[in-house]
Amino acid sequence: MFQKILIANRGEIAVRVARACREMGVRTVAVYSEVDRRALHVRCADEAYLIGPPPASESYLVIDKIIDIAKKSGAEAIHPGYGFLAENPLFAERCEKEKIKLVGPSAHSMRAMGSKTIARKTVQAAGVPVVPGTVEPITTEEEVFRVAGEIGFPVMLKATAGGGGKGMRLVKTEGDIHSALRMAKSEAKSAFSDDSVYVEKYIENPRHVEIQILGDRHGNYVHLGERECSIQRRHQKVIEESPSVVITPEVRAAMGKVAVDAARAAKYEGAGTVEFLVDQNINFYFLEMNTRLQVEHPVTEMVTGVDIVKEQIRIAAGEKLSLRQEDVKQTGHAIECRVYAEDPDRNFMPCPGLISSLRTPGGPGVRDDSGVFEGFEIPIYYDPIISKLVAWGKDREEAIARMRRALNEYVVTGVKTTIPFHIRVMNNRHFLEGDFDTNFIDKVFFPAERERELPHFEVAVIAAAIQLYLDERKQAIAGRPSGTGEPVSMWKYSSRPGMPKIL
Amino acid sequence: MNYIATIGEREVKVTVKEVGVARYMVTGAEKEYLVDAHQVQDSVWSILYGTESFEVDVQGRDDEYEVLIEGDCYKFSLMNEQRKALIRAGWKGAVGKALVTSPMPGKVLKLLVAEGEEVQTDQGVIVVEAMKMENELKSAVTGKVKEIFVKEGEVVELGSKLLLVE
Repeated sequence: MFQKILIANRGEIAVRVARACREMGVRTVAVYSEVDRRALHVRCADEAYLIGPPPASESYLVIDKIIDIAKKSGAEAIHPGYGFLAENPLFAERCEKEKIKLVGPSAHSMRAMGSKTIARKTVQAAGVPVVPGTVEPITTEEEVFRVAGEIGFPVMLKATAGGGGKGMRLVKTEGDIHSALRMAKSEAKSAFSDDSVYVEKYIENPRHVEIQILGDRHGNYVHLGERECSIQRRHQKVIEESPSVVITPEVRAAMGKVAVDAARAAKYEGAGTVEFLVDQNINFYFLEMNTRLQVEHPVTEMVTGVDIVKEQIRIAAGEKLSLRQEDVKQTGHAIECRVYAEDPDRNFMPCPGLISSLRTPGGPGVRDDSGVFEGFEIPIYYDPIISKLVAWGKDREEAIARMRRALNEYVVTGVKTTIPFHIRVMNNRHFLEGDFDTNFIDKVFFPAERERELPHFEVAVIAAAIQLYLDERKQAIAGRPSGTGEPVSMWKYSSRPGMPKIL
Repeated sequence: MNYIATIGEREVKVTVKEVGVARYMVTGAEKEYLVDAHQVQDSVWSILYGTESFEVDVQGRDDEYEVLIEGDCYKFSLMNEQRKALIRAGWKGAVGKALVTSPMPGKVLKLLVAEGEEVQTDQGVIVVEAMKMENELKSAVTGKVKEIFVKEGEVVELGSKLLLVE
């Protein structure tokens, strides 16, 4: 086993990895940018090193700096988390060259499965069904038009190196090609330093279901069942659960086998996820493989009892998988809500800023994988994720009830968060019935929300009136002149001639 | 103290009277309520409304309020009666709807128009990047770009003036 691991990430995932290391008795090395000195991941590590200015391209994404600190600190392995360098084959190659073990697959398997276009070729050769589209990256508008002509509109533009909904644009008609291609390439460039994109047929109303796999270098593979990730906003997952209500034991076994076959074909080592689109007839199509730890891995951990991060570390250290396929049992149901610093009542605008107060939920079946604390300022430079709230129950109903209860306990002030949005979803009839696809948020949820009558307007107005009353009284006592935007003190106006007298 | 809450098209008069420590008699919509209100955590209030207990997050700015209760966001405007009367009499300066401001802190990635250029309603005029997402901001009106206040690459704050369309 390793003595020391460098965690090349920040935020909640760096904290998650550090927790696993601590439990295993492995020392941890954190890296941080200039804005992250006070961040939680620095505080919970054994050692920490400054790696540069705030922009990720000058800190968390700089391979030389990370390698340099790994050597300086004597770390034998690097855990990349997700995002940043996690799926960069150049980084994997460099680690191999420097004899530092990357907790993840080899550069070779990363290339085979990490690039969406190459992965499609690999799995097609193994007979896995794929969504129609280009195998080669495209560069011009004419090419998009030509491919769309062959497979039919609507089509999807996707970043070859992508993930997380970045560098992804829907093209409904010819008129959308110009701006969609420009935005997709530009986002792909800034998120992944690679602006190549490809075209894929857009399957209408699909579900997004993925299989978690683990593989070791001794040729052992298992899958840990599925995660249902259809609740998405701007193609980014926001709520995940396991198991999926539509996946039968037979389909699960079939998808699991395909996922393991795909991993085996790429000699894949470590934890990985094979994503599928599932149509209304429960046909599944290979979408892509994520060659890293997924954001939503906790839902699988909650239903299988497997600590995926610890497995990753053991596999990286050369150990054999600690379980066989027949040892894997799904027990109960788990749901994860991603809590972002975004305003759900303003089209999910990012809301970086100071967390002025915080109360985290607890109680039975609740897990909060957080990367923040009260007094932390969420920087503008990175993903606005605050935490991942996970609830486990003996069945889906109990898991949802616990999630709803935990969300109501969760109080974050100073920044807007997506907690209110999650509460609303946990009350939506279609969600409760398991009746949804990837269009749920835009096509079902928002229209239903616009119709819904809010039950507590009286309480809202009364609370605001009391606050305004106290604010005004405070100002009147302080004798402070009223500036713009502040509630106007009535005393001031009442003293002006011609103004109505206050009774 | 008398306040006017405006909820959509509807106006409701609300009266607040302090009757004890953290206790208020509130009259609204012809009903009277005894309310026990404690500001417990920053903008969060614990409200005992009769015997019902609510946790309420109250955010108010420029007479506009957003109140969160059990995941629902209640939006309305609220001001005292005198201020309402003054605004009715035309005291408040008209705010140009044509000013494009930044809805978030971030970086100006690209200007899609130049000064003097004609733009249509809902036409994208500027791209602001925050947290790796690109957000195209649109003009709320049809008109001419009168002034651009920022340069590409500039870091902007929430509410920063970006450009003016007239």
